[in-house]
Amino acid sequence: MSAVSAHGLVKRYGEILAVDGIDFEVPAGVCFGFLGPNGAGKTTTMKMIYGLAEVDAGELSVLGLDVRRKRREVKARIGVVPQEQNLDRELTVRENLYVQALYHGLPADGRIDELLDFTLLAGRADGKPAELSGGMKRRLLIARALVNRPELVVLDEPTTGLDPQARLAVWGLLDRLRSEGVTLLVTTHYMEEAERICDRLVIMDEGRIVTEGAPRDLLERFGEPNLEGVFLRITGHGLRE
Amino acid sequence: MTSAELVPSVPAASRVWRRNLRVFSKVWKGALLPQFFDPLFYLLALGFGLGTYLATINGIPYKQFVGAGLMSSAVMWAASFETTWNIFFKMEETRLYDSVLATPVEVQDLVLAEVAWAATRAVIYGTTFTLIVAIFGLVDSPWAVLTPLFLALGGACFGMLGLTFTSLIRTMDWYSFYYTLFITPLFLFSGIFYPLDRLPDWVHVVAWFTPLYHLVEITRGLVLGPDALSVLGNALWLVVVTSVLFVIPVSALRRRLVA
Repeated sequence: MSAVSAHGLVKRYGEILAVDGIDFEVPAGVCFGFLGPNGAGKTTTMKMIYGLAEVDAGELSVLGLDVRRKRREVKARIGVVPQEQNLDRELTVRENLYVQALYHGLPADGRIDELLDFTLLAGRADGKPAELSGGMKRRLLIARALVNRPELVVLDEPTTGLDPQARLAVWGLLDRLRSEGVTLLVTTHYMEEAERICDRLVIMDEGRIVTEGAPRDLLERFGEPNLEGVFLRITGHGLRE
Repeated sequence: MTSAELVPSVPAASRVWRRNLRVFSKVWKGALLPQFFDPLFYLLALGFGLGTYLATINGIPYKQFVGAGLMSSAVMWAASFETTWNIFFKMEETRLYDSVLATPVEVQDLVLAEVAWAATRAVIYGTTFTLIVAIFGLVDSPWAVLTPLFLALGGACFGMLGLTFTSLIRTMDWYSFYYTLFITPLFLFSGIFYPLDRLPDWVHVVAWFTPLYHLVEITRGLVLGPDALSVLGNALWLVVVTSVLFVIPVSALRRRLVA
């Protein structure tokens, strides 16, 4: 069974067609990438998967469940690392994980310490999010997404704005999750990130999926030395703003 | 909107409520303590100050008359702050709700939780003030022990009104209209400081449509010796208005947060 399966998926915001009838299958247990320029429809697609955007047309199933009819069930089994940092600023690092367990209706057991260790935040457990660096905040968002032991984690630009060390730390966490069999769905516009972590990927542009495959296959298919070349070949060199 | 998107889950709502309680237990001493003094100062200035010159109203000592009314306004202010500024901040500034809604919590659970929390906070403030009024010896009836129950109901009603307004506005600037043209006039014209009995009929008609009037009728009734039927009638008004409004913030917030 696919972790995520979409057919003819459409999302409109007024006149704008943000997602224009896309089809994709995310096999369970892989790291699956969504690449594309800003405004391509990546974040909107992620939001439909984790229930923060309504599906306008088409079919979308997550872990075998129709997201339109089983939103609570879907959300109980996935983890979300959003693009915008939305930690609970009034609570400590540890309490952020505690209330996440609460929202899921789970006991706040050893899982919280385990995740603080996993994301190297144990020393900051009693601090407030405002006291954390950008990389630590991102790791806390990842820890928060893992509280409910999700089968699928959606990460929307997990390393944007991070320094190289912080980015390596995030990649390390993702590697470990994948080795534990967790399916990862990652959006990025860093080509080297996609090459480094994704088993399969799609490139989106203007609401459509323009190509897909394993990173190496795409390099061969387009005869480019790296994904950056593939990306620019497909989406054009011009600035579109 | 389907019924599945309207009927809240009480367990899910109670989890969000517990998060608010946790935050409140940390910050109340610093940020929220001053709000306890507001009704006390009104009681001293009007009840004990002006009250020295205005001995009684309808046979009731003026300070007792005002004290019973101010319990209701304490509830109104506390619940209103909670579901106006505080909610707007969580919705647009910290984007807290985006993270909550990415868990099994749904919009209707969030609305129930926030209104229940506004009512809780209102009860904390209103009951504290009721105790102060009792300490001053201004409570006559044993029925006053039921006040917290009805303060909760009033708090829920004002919480729901504030949340309804919040769910519909785009910028915080609109709150000056809400407070200046709605909350403050209610405070002044709902029978807290003077009875509406001898005012023209249309004043009664207008007052009947406002929530604070009904809450003041309830608290004054309970503190001075209740007419049970009147208390229940006024309570019913609050229950109906609170319940009917529920659908507005649920649908408006769903459009806003789950676009």
